[in-house]
Parts: sequence; C-alpha cells; structure tokens
Amino acid sequence: MYATLRKAQILTQIEQKLPSAFTVYRRPQHGNIRTGIAQIDEAVQGIPLHALTEICGSSVASSGKTSVLTSLLAQASRDHFCALVDATDSYDPTSAQAAGVQLPRLLWVRCGKTRVQLPPLEQAFKVADILLQSGGFGLIAVDLSGISERIVRKVPLSSWFRFSRVIEKQPAALVFIGQEPHATSCAALVLRVESEPAVFQGNLLTQLKLKVEVVRGREKKPVCAEKCLERTGFSLRTQWA
Amino acid sequence: MFACFYIPDFPVQASFLSEAEETRMALRKTPVAILDGPANLPGVFATNPAARRGGIQSGMTKLQVETYGGVLLRKRSLPAEEAAHTALLDFAGNFSPRVESTAPGTALLDLCGMEKILGSWASAARAITAQALETGFELRLAIASNPDTALLAARGFSNTLHTIIPVGEEARRLAPLPVSVLPISPEMLEVLDGWGIRTFQSLAALPAIAVVERLGQDGLYLQKLARGEINRPLLTIEPYEDFVEGFEFDDPVETLESLFFILNRLLHELCLELLSAALAARELRLTVELKILRLQNGEKAEEQYQHEWKLPVPTHDKNLLFGLVRLQLEKTTFSAPVRKLTLAIVPIKPRVAQGNLFAPPSPEAEKLEITLERIRGVVGSTDADGAACVGSPQLVDTHKPGSFSVGHFSSIHEFTNSPPLAGPVVALRIFRPALETCVELDGEEPHSVRLWHHPRPVLAASGPWSSSGYWWNFATWMREEWDVLLKLPAGLGLYRIYQDRIRRQWFVEGVFD
Repeated sequence: MYATLRKAQILTQIEQKLPSAFTVYRRPQHGNIRTGIAQIDEAVQGIPLHALTEICGSSVASSGKTSVLTSLLAQASRDHFCALVDATDSYDPTSAQAAGVQLPRLLWVRCGKTRVQLPPLEQAFKVADILLQSGGFGLIAVDLSGISERIVRKVPLSSWFRFSRVIEKQPAALVFIGQEPHATSCAALVLRVESEPAVFQGNLLTQLKLKVEVVRGREKKPVCAEKCLERTGFSLRTQWA
Repeated sequence: MFACFYIPDFPVQASFLSEAEETRMALRKTPVAILDGPANLPGVFATNPAARRGGIQSGMTKLQVETYGGVLLRKRSLPAEEAAHTALLDFAGNFSPRVESTAPGTALLDLCGMEKILGSWASAARAITAQALETGFELRLAIASNPDTALLAARGFSNTLHTIIPVGEEARRLAPLPVSVLPISPEMLEVLDGWGIRTFQSLAALPAIAVVERLGQDGLYLQKLARGEINRPLLTIEPYEDFVEGFEFDDPVETLESLFFILNRLLHELCLELLSAALAARELRLTVELKILRLQNGEKAEEQYQHEWKLPVPTHDKNLLFGLVRLQLEKTTFSAPVRKLTLAIVPIKPRVAQGNLFAPPSPEAEKLEITLERIRGVVGSTDADGAACVGSPQLVDTHKPGSFSVGHFSSIHEFTNSPPLAGPVVALRIFRPALETCVELDGEEPHSVRLWHHPRPVLAASGPWSSSGYWWNFATWMREEWDVLLKLPAGLGLYRIYQDRIRRQWFVEGVFD
C-alpha cells in the first residue's frame, strides 16, 4: 500500500517536470459537421472535426460522392468558411447553388488550369497544406477524384499522416474525395459511395439512388473489413425534380 | 480663439510671390494693376495701395490706366494665385493643425490650446506677421473668439496689421466697420444705405424682429455677424500626404535578396509614416525600373515593371505588405538588372472592427490576402479564359449552361440566418473543356455514346432539352441536351451529353455524381 502510494507521488513529481513523456495524450473532443443527408448523419453522426475523412467512389460510374460533398458544403457553409481544392477543375457552381451552398463563403481553388510546372495532384496537396496552415476554415475539401488512381496511390503515407496530425489541432474537418481510400489509419472516417439505377419518371430523370458504406468509423477499426461494413441506402433528387 | 490670415490685394501679392525679395519690396512701392478679362478689352481686376493712391480703380480699361503712366501692368495668373493660396495654407499649418481654406488669400485657424506654444496673443500676432513678411506675404491678422468675427476684423481693419478682439468685446470692436465688409448682396446693401445704416454699430442696434420682418433670415444673420454672435465650426482641410518611397541603386542588382532588403526597409518607412498619420494602406504600387540597355542600332531600351495590389482590408502591417511583394517578385522574371525601386501607397482610414465572441472562426482578413497570394503562386492566377483560379464561385446572369465567374474571396462576411436548405440534390461533375464524342441515334434518341474510345450503350435517356442564346451577337450558342444512363464496366453512369446545333458536334458535358 505504501509502495503504491509512493510510486504515484514520484510519478506525479516526474510528470510535472517531463509532461510530454508521462502524460497520456488525449485527442481533442470531436465535434462534427452534418452532411445534410439524414441516413449518413444517422450512421456516422456527420463528418468529424479535427480529423481526416475520405469519401470515395468511382469516377467513371455515377457514384454520388460529389453530391455528398456538395450537401456537406451546403451544411458547413451555413456556419463556417469552407475551402474546396478542386484538383481537376470539375466542380459545378450551379449544382452548388441549387444544393444551398453559400458561395461567398466558399473558397474555390481550381488546380491544373495554368502552365504551372507542378502536376495537379501536387498543386492540390500544396494548397491544402497552405490552407491548413492559414486556419480559419471550418471545412477543407480536396477533390482528387478526377486524378488517375495510379498517381494518387503513389502519395506516400507520411503525407497522409502529416495531414492527420495537423488537422487534429484545428477545429476543422479535412475531407478528401477520391476513387479509393488511401489514408488508411490516418483517416478517422472512410465512406464509400455507390449508386443504384437512376429513377426516370417518363422522360424526366428525377432521382439518383445511392448506397453508402462506412468502411472506417471513429468507433470501429476495420480489423475484419467485411464485418465492419455498414450499408445505408437513400436517394437524391435532381435539381429540377 | 480663432485667427484669420487675410492677404489684402491677393491677386497683386500672388503675382509678386515668385519674385526675389528685393524686387518684391520695390514692387510694393510701385503702382501695380492686375488686368483680367477678354484679350481685346482687358480691365483692371486688382490694384495695390500705391496704384489706388494714384487714382487707379478696379474696372478701368487698360487704355485708361496707360494714360496715367508709371503703372506696372500685369496679367492675372490663376496658377500663381493657386500656388500663393497653397503657400498661405502651408504657412497657417505651422501654427495650428486645424486650418480652414475660407477663400483665396484667406485662411482661418483654430488656436484653441495653442496659448502655451504661442505665448500672449499680442506677441504671437507680431511674430506671425513678421514671419509672413519673410515668407513673402504682407498679411493682416485678426484674433477673436469666433471665426467670423476674426474674418471680418481682418478684412475690415485695413490700417493695422494685427487686431486682437478679447472675448465679450466683439460687438464694440466691430462697431466702426462699414456694412460693405459683410458678405452682403448689392440689393440689401442698397436697402441699408437707404435706411442710413452704414456701420456695424447701426445695424447691430436695430431690433431683431423688425430686421427679420423687413430683410428676412439673411438680414438677421448679417446682424448677428455685425454683433459678433455667430459661432460656427471650421471646415478644416485634410493635409495631403504623399506616401512614396524609392531607392536607386548605384549599380543595377540582379539578385532578389538585395531587392528584398531594400523593399523591406522602404516598406518599414512607409508603414511608420502611415502609423504616424493614423492611416492604413488601401493600395500598394510597386514600380521596378530596369537597367537601360543599348541596342545594336544605338537606341536605348528602357523597361519598367509595375504591379499593383488592391488590399481588401486596409493595413499598415509591414510584414503583410512585404509578404505580398515578395511572393509577387519570386514568380516574376526580369529581363535586365534592377536599377530603381519605387513603392507608393494609397492611404485610407484604418478599419475599425468589433470582435464577436460568438462568431464562428474565420480566416484573418489581414493575412488572408497572403494566403491567397501563396495559393496563386502554386496554381496560377487565371486560366486561359481569363477566369481567376482562386476565389469565390459566382453564377453569371445568363441561361448558358456552365457559365460562372470567380470573384474575390473575402472573410469579411456576416453570418446572418441562412435560409433553410431544400435538401440534397444530385450534383453534376463537369468536364472542362467538354469531351468531344460520337453519338449513335435510334430515331431521335441516343442509342450509344462513345466514351473514352469505346461505344457505351444507352440504357435510358431523358431529353431533348433545347436551349439557345446570344443570337444577337457573335457568341451565339444553340444546344440540345440529353441525360443518358450508360452501361459501363465499372457500373452505371449517368452522363449529360449535348449536341452543339451550330457546329453539329456532340459533347459530354459531365457526369451526375
């Protein structure tokens, strides 16, 4: 009993002198930003702040990842300044306006449009880094889905790790949109979006049915990937429906 | 207390100002007449006391004046008068920071709180008139408790160089002045003359109600002026300051480090000047003059580089301004070594902003410009169409699909209550530029679409949706849209295709994603 007490006293004294070595690192409390899609918000309680999130889906087939991103921007821009780093300049402001994105609060960075020597992927990563350093943005989204999977796969893990460490200290969400997840354990949340057949009413396209899988969640680690999958189905209306 | 600097015979004195002091002194004793008017019939506009003593009066023709003989005739010069008035204001600025430019040759000063610096009013008046004489002005000075009394005393008392009217004695001291000194219309002057009212004393003695009944509010105002009862604030002039700093190198420099060293110093000096004037920079202009090169044909090639920054938030932060300049110069290549640098700042009053504890975090307005400039350094400033690569997306008021512009992004934005969202919608992912494609039609409907070198069967199609615009100018467009569901190896793809009806060419505009 005495030895235990003595050990605790010594540890307390050392902890005051060497806080980093003996203090247990506590991650900041995770707030979140709602995506605006009830089914996703119900399944994962929104996109976590202080963390890196990946939303992935096919870029050839209609997966619905851009629609999820647009809905997320619409929600986030109500209360925060947002930044969208568009690696292939494929974002549609008209869709954003229709979804309710507050365009004056959105910083849109169009990469790969000038004869700058850097390739679009490097431009996007550098811009994301600058935005993270500058601070003040509630949501930073990096859209890499137009870039070939073969190129994105070459991004070293240390880059993802650095992003995840930097964003941990900021009250912001960092979201990467791509074809496949790449950040592995650096991502707090990974969503895979797929589409099901679109709904046509007569001659009019009215709905796109989507399916979201939670590949990695905050609470669950994908030790056994198949068992951790959660599937959520929902449909999004078109602008004119 | 207020002081009035009044230059009698201002056009004459203004014409003397450019002369040497000895010439000026001699000219004061010579009869001088300033001529103005049409070239074929110039008339006397102003005279000096020597000319008036000789019988020269305003309004006489040049021919009439010439008959007198010995009169120096000069043509009126407006630039000389303007320069003289500016010099008078500068001179007045030596004694008070609050100066009103009342009229050409007349300035009013607020001397409140200057007693300890200037000493007694009598000694101050003597010193001021002596200094003015050295500067080239023979001015009349009056000090009174209100500006208009000082002005009337300076204009009216022509026999003394300085007049000091103690507080409470305004009406008594102004009493002997003629009513023509007042800012009075000729009609009213005639009326007063008809009543036998010729001095301030007699005008001030009239009952106020009777004056209003006969002359209206203008008459009452003149009576109050005559009594020295009008007290108005001065319309002070804002001192103009030129925030320009430059540096010329002995030998033209080729390295950016040397430029940065000098630019940093220049910006430091400019920011200090801004701070001392309680101002901030609204615009920053950099001019870089390059080394003069001699061409083979013997001509000189002089080149200049200029850049201008319009700051969204006024600032006097040296580091911020230097960061902007550094980022711009780092991505600029000069064709010759740098010979001269000039930095100019357009000043504005600094921004006063109240912080809000409950406002969401936002990028710092002052540092945001640096962030945007750094991003522009990575991705470029504008695309081939001239649209900015960094900024806020803005929709253009047109029906043409895909039209947008990119405006300046600013973090000074009120978070008011946003309207409720209508719910998520399907977003379109645009191909910029649109992909040229071939479409096989089955009747009028698309049957297959060639996508990435392979024909893709169309499972369902929605269309055609026709639109056109700008038929009145050269930017005419006409298109027919289809939303098609394609069968792809990766799954189902919902694409938007359109036919350009003018070029008869099909394009893939984007994918619903």
